[in-house]
Amino acid sequence: MNQTESGPILTSDGIPLKVSLKKAERINKIRAFLLVLPLLAFILVTFLVPIGDMLARSIDDRQINTVFPKTFEVYKKWDRQGLPSEEVYKTMFFEVKNSEGYDIGKASTRMNYSKSGWKSLLKKSKRKFKKIEEGPYKEQMIAAEKRWGDIEYWKALGQMVDPTTMGYYLNAVDLKYDSSKNIVQQKENRRIYNKTWFKTFKVSVLVTFFCLILAYPISYLLATLPLKYSNLLMICVLLPFWTSLLVRTVAWMVMLQQKGVFNNLMVMAGLIADENRWQLMYNQTAVIIVMTQILLPFMVLPLYSVMKTISPTYMRAALNLGASPLHAFYKIYMPNSIPGVSAGCLLVFIIAIGYYITPELVGGKDGQMVGNWIAYHLKTTLNWGLCASLGAILLAVMTVLYWAYNKIVGIENIKLG
Amino acid sequence: MLKTIKATFLGLVSLAFVASAYADITFVSWGGAYTASQQKAYVDTWSKGSGVTVENYNGGLGEIKAQVEAGNVTWDVVDVLPDQAITGCDEGLFAKVDQSEFLNDLVVPPVSECVVPQIFWAYTAFYDKAAFPGKKPKNIKDFFDVKKFPGKRGIHTWANALIEMALVADGVKASKVYDVMSTPEGIDRAFAKLDTIKDHVVFWSAGSKPLELVSSGEVVMALAYNGRIGAAILSEGKNFEYIWDATVLEQEYLVAIKGGNEAEALEFMAHASSAVSNAEQAKYIPYGPMRKSSIGIIKKGEPWFVKEGGNIDILPHMPTTPKVLKRAVIGDPVWWADNGAEVHERFGAWKGS
Repeated sequence: MNQTESGPILTSDGIPLKVSLKKAERINKIRAFLLVLPLLAFILVTFLVPIGDMLARSIDDRQINTVFPKTFEVYKKWDRQGLPSEEVYKTMFFEVKNSEGYDIGKASTRMNYSKSGWKSLLKKSKRKFKKIEEGPYKEQMIAAEKRWGDIEYWKALGQMVDPTTMGYYLNAVDLKYDSSKNIVQQKENRRIYNKTWFKTFKVSVLVTFFCLILAYPISYLLATLPLKYSNLLMICVLLPFWTSLLVRTVAWMVMLQQKGVFNNLMVMAGLIADENRWQLMYNQTAVIIVMTQILLPFMVLPLYSVMKTISPTYMRAALNLGASPLHAFYKIYMPNSIPGVSAGCLLVFIIAIGYYITPELVGGKDGQMVGNWIAYHLKTTLNWGLCASLGAILLAVMTVLYWAYNKIVGIENIKLG
Repeated sequence: MLKTIKATFLGLVSLAFVASAYADITFVSWGGAYTASQQKAYVDTWSKGSGVTVENYNGGLGEIKAQVEAGNVTWDVVDVLPDQAITGCDEGLFAKVDQSEFLNDLVVPPVSECVVPQIFWAYTAFYDKAAFPGKKPKNIKDFFDVKKFPGKRGIHTWANALIEMALVADGVKASKVYDVMSTPEGIDRAFAKLDTIKDHVVFWSAGSKPLELVSSGEVVMALAYNGRIGAAILSEGKNFEYIWDATVLEQEYLVAIKGGNEAEALEFMAHASSAVSNAEQAKYIPYGPMRKSSIGIIKKGEPWFVKEGGNIDILPHMPTTPKVLKRAVIGDPVWWADNGAEVHERFGAWKGS
């Protein structure tokens, strides 16, 4: 008998073997999938959904469009040259007067982001409009609240007439829409975010750099010293790591303030004059110093775990073959430690860029980072759209860095141990 | 045997019923000596059955908005600042309350329909007497005059009250401050005045910090919450002195969060805003009650402040005495609800430049 001619191989119950195998495989696949399902659901709920929600919030302007749909409709016809026509005033009048519940309150918070004053204007108007019975409305509205005659308020509305907006992103880089949705620069004394972005990157890069310089020799010692010494050293690295962040930050305040330990010692030693004590606290310098100390273990640990795997025989071989110690280090040891260096740098940089509590406590006048502004808008102004766009930009920057890193060094070269 | 099981079961059910008749509430406030005074004046004197858990927060509406939006309200009564009382009420985060009981008994009208009165607190300048053996600073002009009184100043990291004080120091009358602030030139003027001390300031953000800064000599004068200064003088025997000039008075309110245990929360708030309770709080911290009749109660009861070894007169430490009010700025939460974000951003730019 020739099997190949009689069609596919069958199992004992007549089903082709291929199908039967597939069926058995499928059950296994489903079983495997079910096993990871809880984890998948967990990641979905705790990671992807919040990020999706954040991205949605950063462009969402629907709420206000449900409160003033008609006004925005007639607003689009306005030529932006003098005050709007009676028709615009009239529609606005009725949409304010007839609004119910809290929608107008929420809308007024939103409108206040693009022009300060909308909040109280709407609130007072809502009360005063009750007395206005019939048109024409324009003069009566201006008489009730003279801000209705201020064209700036009307111009500010133009930023909000679409249910989705890039306005929050523009806001996050010191730009804004004008009344016709052209992109223009933010008012000069409100331009704060570009500076903050620059500062955030500067601080993060410097902190990463100082961490690397400090951590490299420590890790080298940790990896090469005999066990009884290296264990002690390891405890010295880990003990601060286990200490509360707040305790460490406050300890630095005591150390570095103008009447603090460090300045006192310097004055006592006669190195600086009493009236010229160094300003090391409540500024950017303080943020860099304190963050470097706090993030140091995140650099030491990956470096150490990589260096531990570099066999000492490599260096010995290089020296044996006539290389100077410096040359041997440069040619042999350093390239071997690169995976640890890159892991540490990436780790420290990512943590540093989103840092909040340390800049808040020791940042003082010029040490505030993006995280501090996110916290401010999250808590005080309730401008969650702006928070979301700031957060999304941070996320995008991290993704780009990660991508660039992968291209240049290769992510498979990262080693945490 | 069956009977005992039945009885136990019934007992448990009725116990559960009694417990659920009064839901426990969570009362959220700012912590420190302030919350301690509320604990003694309101929570310890509360006998209505529902237990009260006290928690701390750092201000702002962020957490409250998140709880209400997620439909998972765990806070019931929250102690809020007036501009947040306005925004939260407008946005429907807070429940409306019956204000008829105290409406005619308040020093200023309530900022929204959702609040019951607590206290007036104040941003006040102060110094350590030891820092100025000779001439002592007397007014806010002296605070902004680093030539006459050299040394660093401790100020907070946000703009509220600083704008007002800077304008008064620049010659604006306390009662006209918000008129001036409502013009763009007024704000420019305030920042120009702030520029004159910019190289001499240390910023603080936690309420206890200015006291540390002055005690340690890091600064010679600072702005602080008057209650903290009072607590340091009264309870810790510090040698501080107030500068009762251009003191910026701020209101403080309680609100009930929508979707929490509203009924119990409102009952607790009625208790915590009664004239007797408001006066009671001043036994433990020198903040001024918002109710006129509470001030009467305190006046009659002096020495009112509770201290081991004999009570102390509290009125000299209050920000609401006629002497202080004459030279004070009454903070305008409506102005700040409108302009807070813009001025704060500008303040941030000013700090960093």
